[in-house]
Amino acid sequence: MKTALQLQQRIVAFIGGARDDFEALALEVFAFQFAHNHAYRAFCERKERTPDRVAHWTEIPAVPASAFKQLALTCFPPDDAIVEFRTSGTTQACSGRHLFKTLELYDAAITPNFNAHLFPDGAQMPLLSLVPDDPHSSLAYMIRKLGARCVERLEPVNVPVCVLGTAFNFLKLFDEGISLQLPSGSRAMETGGFKGRTREVTKPELYEMFEMHLGIPPTHVVNEYGMTELSTQFYDETMRVGHCSDVKHAPPWARVRVIDPQTDEEAQPGVPGLFRIYDLANLWSVMCLQTEDLGVREGDGFVLFGRAPGAMPRGCSLKVEALSEERRRPGGFTADSDRRGGGVPAPMT
Amino acid sequence: MNATPDRIQDAVRRVREAHEFVLESRRTEAIIKALADAAQSWLPASSPWRAQAVEQAPAVTGSSPAMVNEVIDRMFGAITAESLGALLDREFGDRRVLDEFRPHGRAQARAFGVPVILHLLAGNVPPPGIHSILNGLLVRSGNVVRMSQRDTVFPKLFVESVRAADPDLAMCVELLEWPRTDAALTQAALAKADAVIAHGDDSTIATLRRLAPGNATFIGYGQKVSFAYVCREAMTAEQLPALATAAAEDVSVYDQQGCLSPHVIYVEERGALGPRKFAAALAEAMGAFQARIPRGKLSVEEAAVVNTTRSGYEFRSASDKRIAVWASAQPNDWTVIYEDNPAFEPSCLNRVVFVKPTDSERRVLDGIQRFAARISTVGVAPMSERMMELAKQLAKLGIHRVCPLGQMQRPPLWWFHDGRPNLASLVRWTELG
Repeated sequence: MKTALQLQQRIVAFIGGARDDFEALALEVFAFQFAHNHAYRAFCERKERTPDRVAHWTEIPAVPASAFKQLALTCFPPDDAIVEFRTSGTTQACSGRHLFKTLELYDAAITPNFNAHLFPDGAQMPLLSLVPDDPHSSLAYMIRKLGARCVERLEPVNVPVCVLGTAFNFLKLFDEGISLQLPSGSRAMETGGFKGRTREVTKPELYEMFEMHLGIPPTHVVNEYGMTELSTQFYDETMRVGHCSDVKHAPPWARVRVIDPQTDEEAQPGVPGLFRIYDLANLWSVMCLQTEDLGVREGDGFVLFGRAPGAMPRGCSLKVEALSEERRRPGGFTADSDRRGGGVPAPMT
Repeated sequence: MNATPDRIQDAVRRVREAHEFVLESRRTEAIIKALADAAQSWLPASSPWRAQAVEQAPAVTGSSPAMVNEVIDRMFGAITAESLGALLDREFGDRRVLDEFRPHGRAQARAFGVPVILHLLAGNVPPPGIHSILNGLLVRSGNVVRMSQRDTVFPKLFVESVRAADPDLAMCVELLEWPRTDAALTQAALAKADAVIAHGDDSTIATLRRLAPGNATFIGYGQKVSFAYVCREAMTAEQLPALATAAAEDVSVYDQQGCLSPHVIYVEERGALGPRKFAAALAEAMGAFQARIPRGKLSVEEAAVVNTTRSGYEFRSASDKRIAVWASAQPNDWTVIYEDNPAFEPSCLNRVVFVKPTDSERRVLDGIQRFAARISTVGVAPMSERMMELAKQLAKLGIHRVCPLGQMQRPPLWWFHDGRPNLASLVRWTELG
């Protein structure tokens, strides 16, 4: 495992700002994962895309996110895991698991990316979190790692603060009628949708409420997109560009391609497709993940639409969830979705 | 035409007047003839209705032109004077009860179609909507129809074809469009209805049922799924190709959008050929069907779901011998997923079907138990004595129809749609004596 640890150190350094070559690293990570992740190896062999045949990072086979529901997908014996993050589903059978034997890469990827998108102005302020702690929630872990203080409610403060929560956490607060004028410079990070909730609001509506209830203008609210199956998060560029924007950019150690589900090829600009995410920080599981999230490429970034529906827009046949009580998403956010982000699903018609 | 409260009121008034006129001026035989003539006028290759449907429907529904032709052949081919007469006779015992008082025990009775039926169509596949209108006309009711935005072509052209056969009868139908979410318009239409036939998802139906006037008859057709069962006796080299073709048709027709489309095909083990052989033969037949009648266009969301379903099983199949995937070379055209797990698995639709091995009927009955209330049709091969026993068990679970594989998408006109009669709820009776 010496080479694996060396690879890990190189990626940690890359995340920390060292110069390196994403494409070369991606191929090395692929070779490592091919050698140590048995299910992945079998899949690559079936596809005839083995390290000796893959010359470019875009040819690396992607693992469907749903595979995390049935397989451990680790490059180490699953018993060696020290942490397990879980996705949706009330039973073990239908919830996905992402196992970690070390959180070194995960930890390394959290802060620089968060700071770059929430504090591009270099501001420093206390972080307050509305997300309840949960040992199996990757979101709760990330927030803990950022050093945020968990609060049940927000109180008036004299210094600017940064509030973190799911869209649902915030909506609940707004519905309760909170009315604060947080000091200028305060900001918020929201994530996750509210599927199955009592009501849905659009993103602009939600962002207006931030201003109305907390005094945080929409230009200071940043949407985060993260997945249990990944180790890297993605953020709207709003704070970086100084105006509201749905565009997200991958940090240097990750890439996002948009794949047209009709052709399985890279989508043409402006054509919606599924995100295929390459995350070097996922060294110990699988680097190349085929998500079920739809969006479009926008310049050198991407815009998230929402989860490809589990049910069809047409068809009198049943939705999978409607058919099977067991699959229904449970109440709490932490198990609410395999991914968080997108805030409010945009209409996809 | 987009509806407004006034337009709905006008439509109700017009169909009520047309209903009264037709009630006085038409006898059942004339209605049967007009409807059969209308349906038959779709069948020739040169039919103007067919030409218009093939031209217009693909843009609205996404269906391929070949599929539109197939739907026309199946749907209108089954509407004949004979089948319409048989439907009436089966439901009323005597079709003439709609014309005059007829013996009814020691007394006499006559049936009258209710003045105004409101039809709320779903639009996933054409037949339920066309049959809904057809049933309303057979009992000489007035019919206000809210079409789905997803299928305005078939209802419009069908009513025009009825108009060509009997203009007065066609006056008994008013077609309208309004968004399903416009509760005020739906409420306005419901308020005037004597009977409501609603097609749609379960939550829509539950809402409509609540909103419908208490004295109106309410008939809701909700979401259903279907599956098939292949016995080991049928799994021989001689029978397999025909069996696979029959199954591929049931799966592929209407691109699996209908309630009668099978999601899972259970195949018994210990036949001359095993369940995997069935999956392979089915894949070949799916390919042949695709070549003859291509799958419709998918929205990006639909394509995404098919794509992720397929790739998820492909991934697992590489390391899990209980799973195998046969997939069209062209992404998403069709997918056959073999999975050794008897649990009923709803498909993501659009020609994605599961083949599951089973050692007995019992295992399947256990596997579907949880979904029994949602199952419409079970296609079986062959319809043997043993399958009669299975049918009894399925009936106990509340499943509506057991039929031969290959016939799942061809219910007769007089079938009990979702387990109920089609016309009996649309009339009221007067007894004499």
